[in-house]
Amino acid sequence: MHYVLHYGQITPYIPYLLGGVLISLALSILSFAGGMVLGLVFAILRNEGGAAASRFVRGYVAFFTNTPQLVQIYVIYFGLPDFGILFTPFMAVLIGMTLNAAGYLTEILRAGLASVHAQELDAAETLNMSRLQTLRHVILPHLFRVTMPALTNQYILMMLGTSMAAIFGVEELTGRAFNINSTTFRSIEVFTTVAAIYVVVTFLATILLALFSRWAFRARVPVI
Amino acid sequence: MAQLDIRGLVARYNDTTVLDGIDLAIDRGEIVSLIGPSGSGKSTLLRVISGLLRPVKGTVSLAGETIDYGDRRSLRRARNRLAIVFQQYNLFGNMNVLRNVMVTPVTIKKRDRREVEAEARTLLEKVGLGDKLNAYPDELSGGQQQRVAIARALCLKPEILLLDEVTSALDPERVGEVLDTIKLLAAEHMTLLIVSHEMAFVRDVSHRVAFMAEGTIQELGTPEQIFDAPRIARTRTFVSRILGHRTAA
Repeated sequence: MHYVLHYGQITPYIPYLLGGVLISLALSILSFAGGMVLGLVFAILRNEGGAAASRFVRGYVAFFTNTPQLVQIYVIYFGLPDFGILFTPFMAVLIGMTLNAAGYLTEILRAGLASVHAQELDAAETLNMSRLQTLRHVILPHLFRVTMPALTNQYILMMLGTSMAAIFGVEELTGRAFNINSTTFRSIEVFTTVAAIYVVVTFLATILLALFSRWAFRARVPVI
Repeated sequence: MAQLDIRGLVARYNDTTVLDGIDLAIDRGEIVSLIGPSGSGKSTLLRVISGLLRPVKGTVSLAGETIDYGDRRSLRRARNRLAIVFQQYNLFGNMNVLRNVMVTPVTIKKRDRREVEAEARTLLEKVGLGDKLNAYPDELSGGQQQRVAIARALCLKPEILLLDEVTSALDPERVGEVLDTIKLLAAEHMTLLIVSHEMAFVRDVSHRVAFMAEGTIQELGTPEQIFDAPRIARTRTFVSRILGHRTAA
């Protein structure tokens, strides 16, 4: 028990770790955006798409929210090549995270859609708004306003979840931490530094998303 | 030719008949009010006219053109000519007051933004909300929201305005302003169909009053006839109860 902390050995790697942050951010932002598009389509299909579409969405959500994300990405990265479908590690993780996020986001957005006031929809209809115009001007602003806190939480979870990409060899923040650790053998310094970086990044992301929610959707989200 | 001609209108919610053969013709510039107990079909009639509930029988015509409620284009044409102000205001919560009023003329009718904005500001001034242009519905009182809803409807320049319980949420000093606005609309030859429980308002503003019960128009006449000398017992009972209650209050 005579371990002496030497954070000085990690300092030169900070720019390298920050490069990993960019990859983590790219993974989380792209998969969140993709998940949002899929989730919105699925949420609308679940509510208005008829019995078959609703069953499909229910099955999709049940599958992706009841199986580990890691297993899902394993199927994509190690299973699909047997059918001749190959992805780079980054793409496999991105697709896996997107499909997984869509499952959770479908449920969040579906709850938001259910909270749109029927009176506002009546008004939109009598004002001759088309379905698309109603979606654009009435439903989506309301939806984002009420779901922003949940969406922010989901994004933060996804940002932290990018660390599993390291298992597939993606050199995002945790992946780069593995590399530094195997060179320096300074596990405590490496991983506490990485943990601190995650804290800063998610803290900043939470503040930025809260400010954006307030500005764009008048969402009542506390900034801190 | 009547501006709004309703013939044999029947409507149902699931298996319940809520309108059971409504006949009503309203001339251009005429103000007709619907009174009656809750559940008598007054608001439903406005919902059917505006296409929110499809009738199962009967016709509604606007200046001779029958609305085909199953045809999107026909319904769009009709909705371009009439506007409805709802009991619950039905403002868009994500838009400020000015945008609530402007959204349809600018986005749907593709009118010039500056021109619409000038009109919207004038209308909002007229209903006493010139200082609330940037407020959001959840920052306004019920009465203020209702006045925004009226301004929104007026900004559409409708030929026919359907008003569903518009004074019920207004504070007393604003009722007069709305009344004056409605009289102004009548002078501009706008046809008005009003649902209201405010008997003084109805009596003051209407050319004719229809008493509804159980999905039918039981009696139709001038305000004097309906309030002072109703022909049927049902109307008499309703009017005396309402007026008696108001007097007691």
